[in-house]
Amino acid sequence: MEIVTVRNLSFTYPLRGEKALTDISFSVESGDYLAVCGGTGSGKSTLLYMLKKELTPRGDLAGEILFEGKRLAEIGDKDSACKIGYVMQRPEQQLVTDKVWHELSFGLENINVPSNVIHRKVAEMASYFGIEGWFEMPVDSLSGGQKQLLNLAAVMVMNPKVLILDEPTAQLDPVAAVDFLETVARLNRDMGITVILVEHRLEHVLPQCNKLLVLEDGRAVAFGKTRSVISSLEKNEQVLAGMPAAVRLYNSFHFTDECPISTGEGSLWIRKHFSNRDPRPKEKVKRSFAGPALELKDLWFKYGRKEHDVLRGTALTVYEGEIFCILGGNGSGKSTALSCAAGLLKPYHGEVRIFGKNISEYKNMLWGRELSMLPQDVQTVFLKNTVKEELEDSGACESLSVYDLKPLLDSHPYDLSGGQQQLLALTKAIASRPRLLLLDEPTKGVDTYTKERLIGLLKQYRDEGMTLVIVTHDAEFAAQIADRCALFFRGAVTSVDAPEAFFSENNFYTTAVNRMTRDYFDGCVTLDDVKEVCEKNHD
Amino acid sequence: MTDKGSKKILKIIIPYVLIPAVILAGVFVFSEKAYAWISLAVAILSVGLFYTTFERKKEKARKIVVIAVMTTLSVVGRFVFAAIPGFKPITAIVVITAVWLGGESGFLVGSLSALISNFYFGQGPWTPFQMLAWGLIGLFAGYLSAPLKKSRLLLSLYGIFAGVAFSLIMDVWTVLWYQGGFSIRLYAAALLTALPYTVSYAVSNVIFLLLLGEPFGRKLERVKIKYGV
Amino acid sequence: MSEILTLPLRSLKSLKRFEDYNPIAVFVFFAGAILPAMFCLDIILLLISFAGGMSLLFSLKGKAAAKSLFLYLIVPIAGFILNPLFYHNGKTVLFLINDTPITFESAFYGMSAGLMITAVLVWFRAFSLIMTSDRLLYIFGAASPKLALILSMTLRYIPLYTRQIKKIRMASKAMGLYREDTLIDRLRGSVRVFSAMVTWGLENGVITADSMSARGYGIGRRSRYAIFGWLAFDGLLIAASAILCAGVLVGAGFYAFGFEYYPEISAVPISAASCLCYAAYGILVFIPVFINIKEGLTWRSLQSET
Ligand SMILES: Nc1ncnc2c1ncn2[C@@H]1O[C@H](COP(=O)(O)OP(=O)(O)OP(=O)(O)O)[C@@H](O)[C@H]1O
Ligand SMILES: Nc1ncnc2c1ncn2[C@@H]1O[C@H](COP(=O)(O)OP(=O)(O)OP(=O)(O)O)[C@@H](O)[C@H]1O
Ligand SMILES: [Mg+2]
Ligand SMILES: [Mg+2]
Repeated sequence: MEIVTVRNLSFTYPLRGEKALTDISFSVESGDYLAVCGGTGSGKSTLLYMLKKELTPRGDLAGEILFEGKRLAEIGDKDSACKIGYVMQRPEQQLVTDKVWHELSFGLENINVPSNVIHRKVAEMASYFGIEGWFEMPVDSLSGGQKQLLNLAAVMVMNPKVLILDEPTAQLDPVAAVDFLETVARLNRDMGITVILVEHRLEHVLPQCNKLLVLEDGRAVAFGKTRSVISSLEKNEQVLAGMPAAVRLYNSFHFTDECPISTGEGSLWIRKHFSNRDPRPKEKVKRSFAGPALELKDLWFKYGRKEHDVLRGTALTVYEGEIFCILGGNGSGKSTALSCAAGLLKPYHGEVRIFGKNISEYKNMLWGRELSMLPQDVQTVFLKNTVKEELEDSGACESLSVYDLKPLLDSHPYDLSGGQQQLLALTKAIASRPRLLLLDEPTKGVDTYTKERLIGLLKQYRDEGMTLVIVTHDAEFAAQIADRCALFFRGAVTSVDAPEAFFSENNFYTTAVNRMTRDYFDGCVTLDDVKEVCEKNHD
Repeated sequence: MTDKGSKKILKIIIPYVLIPAVILAGVFVFSEKAYAWISLAVAILSVGLFYTTFERKKEKARKIVVIAVMTTLSVVGRFVFAAIPGFKPITAIVVITAVWLGGESGFLVGSLSALISNFYFGQGPWTPFQMLAWGLIGLFAGYLSAPLKKSRLLLSLYGIFAGVAFSLIMDVWTVLWYQGGFSIRLYAAALLTALPYTVSYAVSNVIFLLLLGEPFGRKLERVKIKYGV
Repeated sequence: MSEILTLPLRSLKSLKRFEDYNPIAVFVFFAGAILPAMFCLDIILLLISFAGGMSLLFSLKGKAAAKSLFLYLIVPIAGFILNPLFYHNGKTVLFLINDTPITFESAFYGMSAGLMITAVLVWFRAFSLIMTSDRLLYIFGAASPKLALILSMTLRYIPLYTRQIKKIRMASKAMGLYREDTLIDRLRGSVRVFSAMVTWGLENGVITADSMSARGYGIGRRSRYAIFGWLAFDGLLIAASAILCAGVLVGAGFYAFGFEYYPEISAVPISAASCLCYAAYGILVFIPVFINIKEGLTWRSLQSET
């Protein structure tokens, strides 16, 4: 049975010339798992907003949206609230109340369910999602992953038929992200809930979904069963860039068998078509570094006198002219360490040295020319009313950006899509061309195609002498860009290595390519690595 | 009797019988402190009455949230300006909210800010009066919305008025409670001791209104247009 | 707050501390204890009230309450010294300052009024300690759900915004766009930060609002997930508080006790009625401590049984 049907849907935001969505049609059957993908600003979030009438923004809407055969606008308020569940991109924003239990019961209270029934349903959901342990905590003290899980649980108590999720894992570490997606897949499998999900990192989603919708500039360029959509994508570079490693690898050769989708299939596929006579990619040229650019020596930090230590002896040296990536779990203290390195937080023990000088010697002269930082929460960077003013504020211009900001110059920064906001903030941060640039999760919410251009730009800056320290959850990105990588755990750096060695030794904090080629090829971490080795072993 | 019927009777009994009875009984019982009792009862009742009408209205979630946001901003505002001694933007934010979103929102933001600040600085019998005082500052600003929007001079005057009015209202209660009756001398003394405070308060109100009025107004306007609050 | 999930009456026995009673019952108790202290200027009644309030503070905070004891005693002393400087009624002139008489009655009144303020402050302090945000919300929620929701949101927002303010300031600093050298710099910087904060608050608030509507807020009557159970003990506490308080107030209304300060200090003579009133108020204000001591004893006897 068709549960959601969209016919010739177009949408224009007020005060925007171009349409955000143009003539989109697709349908979802009950029990389907639909993944929606597409570039930054291609209209994914806008499309999802259209499917939930409470969230539909103001603007010109044409076309038809049907839910269970009825027009969306004609569905009763209560049905709409219960049957369509929506989880947003940023876990923080959608929490309403201050306690976990209250968040869980909020939806049921709204539809006037008696207290004892709420009690039963909440208890059931809390144990299904493993929330019992933090049932009475203030939501403020939860980690990012826990918050997102709570959001999902708070929607699930309403017993929805359709679950809509907008980049739910953008802020999560790889382990939490996989866990979360597993939970969603389980809901789809066990309870038959229809899922519509937007993601940029498709590695774990594609094997789970059965339908795929690809958007480009507000148009649906492909829709259908996952495999048939993928096989139709061959020529579309931009969209292909966002596909899992196995798909991209398949597409760089010309085999006629079925395209592998998951890492497991990819692994088999490689073993089927290539030997491992020569399992190593070329040695990368080791770059030689000048003196140290940033030294953290035994840093200890906590946010309050009575709170626990967030940094516990962080020690780290980054050399001039290198790109240094830091990975690690949610709440392990990466952002805190970065803020200490930037002199924004003061550790209670230890020393920070920048270009050989103690950070306190710089006084006010540090920020801007010597050092600049992109914070994790990019909305903290926006202070003005239009994109243009934002750029002028820090002396940037739109040509600096890897993304075309020109059509957006007169928009309010908060009217940009998630990825566009990220890129705007990034442009602001690099505008002063500092000697040392600290980036906190610069690629979250950015599509792979733009990400690759960003990698090019940052590498170019490095070659011109800039030093970069990047905190990221994105192993693929780190593998491509880093000269060295470090793993952060409970407030300290546990291992530092070149990406090849680093990712070959990890099981979770590693790239899909490495997982696919493990025990067959040696030291492949990026797509280019594996392509190169495959070519060598191709008969 | 039906549930509805009993509710209707309650609606008559509470405002017209119970409340006057309690106040009168209080006047009789607390003969020495009758004025303090009456003023406290009036403060609580007028705040309560306002909330009852608000409760009955069907309100959009967005309006509720905007009120919560503005209340939070007025409470945390003092942390932002902690670097500058004596600067607290509560009144300015209450007035700005009222001017752009109406008197009702102003009253709510004002009274809730008082209530919530006191979670941090201590609740006491003064809480209802602070709630009423800030609430009224907001309510009147809402009535004067049109002229206040237009003229910065009027806005500043209103800031001064709000600073002084707040002090006046609070001191009336102090004197009534302490002295039993109203004593001009004590009132004057209380006003005099609070004078430096009142002046700095009025000045900072003016500065805040001039500094924040325009830009905040524009932001609220944007929210009004974009989201239809 | 271990009893968030309502437990049946049996299993609880009276192993319940005063703090764990239903917030509405606790609220009624506080109203009953504070009202006489606030409006009856009777020094004996006030002493009882102060003692009761302090005993509750001790049982809540232990030794830390001892420190505040001295602070609280400053107020009546200040009243004793300052009141005669402003107010010169009374017959018994102690001495003259610049030809104005300093009277004993005025000093005594100052002390009583100071004691009244102190007693009320002590009670409010205990009230704030016990009425944590979720208890208060429970009470508000019963009276006005909408208000309770706003309060709940605000309480969540305050720590969130405080953090966000720091983050915004740090973000501007890190890009070299924020200075703190002079007072003007600081003011300008703060306005900049606050203005960004307002935008952030409003924009994100609207998203929260959407998340509320998406989960059905505003479509009709709301129910309430009550996390505080209601036991017979709670009813008992309410009844006791109401009856005892009413008794004291009736006594006050008929001048069973009370003080006359001017022109001369005269107390209503001690009688059976006045003793009854004092006793009633005494029982009332010591109820919490009594409950807590009983809880301790029950627990100990349970422990020794096993
Ligand atoms: N509230 C708004 N007002 C005006 N324009 C908007 C608004 N929200 C989004 N847009 C514009 O509509 C287009 C599509 O945005 P949308 O948020 O749907 O993109 P997206 O595909 O979700 O991107 P991302 O992957 O970055 O989240 C963008 O160009 C964006 O700037
Ligand atoms: N401003 C703050 N006040 C108090 N505690 C904080 C603050 N910021 C972070 N923390 C706490 O410090 C710990 C480390 O946080 P941090 O943001 O550094 O982690 P992270 O490694 O960057 O995590 P993520 O990957 O989710 O960004 C967490 O437990 C967090 O709750
Ligand atoms: Mg989006
Ligand atoms: Mg972080």
